[in-house]
Amino acid sequence: MDEPTPEADDDHLLVAQAQQGDLASFDALVTRHRGRIFAMIRNMIHQEADAWDLSQEVFIKAWQALPRFEARARFSTWLYRIAHNLVCDWTRKHRIESVGELNDEIFGRERIDARSSTTPAGGDSPADSLSHQELRHKIEDALDKLSPEHRQVVVLKDAQGLAYKEIADIMECSIGTVMSRLFYARQKLQSLLKDEYESR
Amino acid sequence: MNTNPDDTTLALWLDDELEGDELSRVEAWAAEHPEQLAAREEVRRWRRMISASIPAAEEPPAAEFFNERIQHAIRESTHASGHAHRIARTWSHLWMPLAACAGMVLAFWLGMSTHQKTVEITNHGNPDATLPNLYTPLQGVEAESFTSASAAATVIVLTGIDAIPDSVDFSATAASQRWREIDSTAGNAPTAEP
Repeated sequence: MDEPTPEADDDHLLVAQAQQGDLASFDALVTRHRGRIFAMIRNMIHQEADAWDLSQEVFIKAWQALPRFEARARFSTWLYRIAHNLVCDWTRKHRIESVGELNDEIFGRERIDARSSTTPAGGDSPADSLSHQELRHKIEDALDKLSPEHRQVVVLKDAQGLAYKEIADIMECSIGTVMSRLFYARQKLQSLLKDEYESR
Repeated sequence: MNTNPDDTTLALWLDDELEGDELSRVEAWAAEHPEQLAAREEVRRWRRMISASIPAAEEPPAAEFFNERIQHAIRESTHASGHAHRIARTWSHLWMPLAACAGMVLAFWLGMSTHQKTVEITNHGNPDATLPNLYTPLQGVEAESFTSASAAATVIVLTGIDAIPDSVDFSATAASQRWREIDSTAGNAPTAEP
């Protein structure tokens, strides 16, 4: 999983050039990674305008810290970590606390009422399955019910497809913590999206 | 694989993160545990649903402007830090001559003020005048005299002497009729000679 990909190799070259002050190389890195960073942040805060600004801030901070970047980590992982810190700051500032969030450590999966008012209504049958766009809104609504930490592991693992170790590096916690958070987060989401999930 | 994989290995296998020999060993073990194969399929199904609905990458709106704004911010910060560096460098170049000039002015002023003070004390407004020769008979009492030509006065300050009690009759001890009667309530009252 941690084997360097051709893209990562190219990153090293561009990063080395950018570290010498080559703005064009850094611009190429921005173009290469902006989509994933923007998607990650947008999925975390669900506000497009703020996600746009925060994504830019990620790259500006990356440029400023570039002389200190060591090639031991992937450039993309490093960007995700900057994004993670900015999202944490943003979340603290905006006090996004999901109202009525269930405590995973207290309630078991079977006690979560999937028919609660915050639960998206399901389609009448699998044949009436929702379009991806509609399903996306429902998943986003369900993600909003999670704590920021649980939401982030789902976004990084299930949406972005990162490895456990990479997520642990980004969130600066152990792999065990990532696994635990992901386990509870998936359970909760599957309860909240029960109808959609079972129809697929 | 005869023994169960540990929790971490199992979680990695469920999420398709194992490779090589470790993957082969867990696969062999899982072949005898269909519930684990079903669990892995469940995880795969879940990931498919999420990844199909929530894109891993999404171009930000106005992507070119997005890049341009970053470049602009970088250029601004580089310009600002370069400007600050230039100012610091300019000041460092000016510092040595300015410090030298300031040193010369200070030395000149000190020289002038020392000279004026010497003249002031020794001349006393009168070229023939000399500083008073002070004698203090009590142990621990020190006397200092200050002469000012501009004030046309000499002040003698006694330190270490007890406060003069109100009961002392100065008229009986006064050596000169020209001295004015003074209030003796002050502790170390300077003695003024006009």
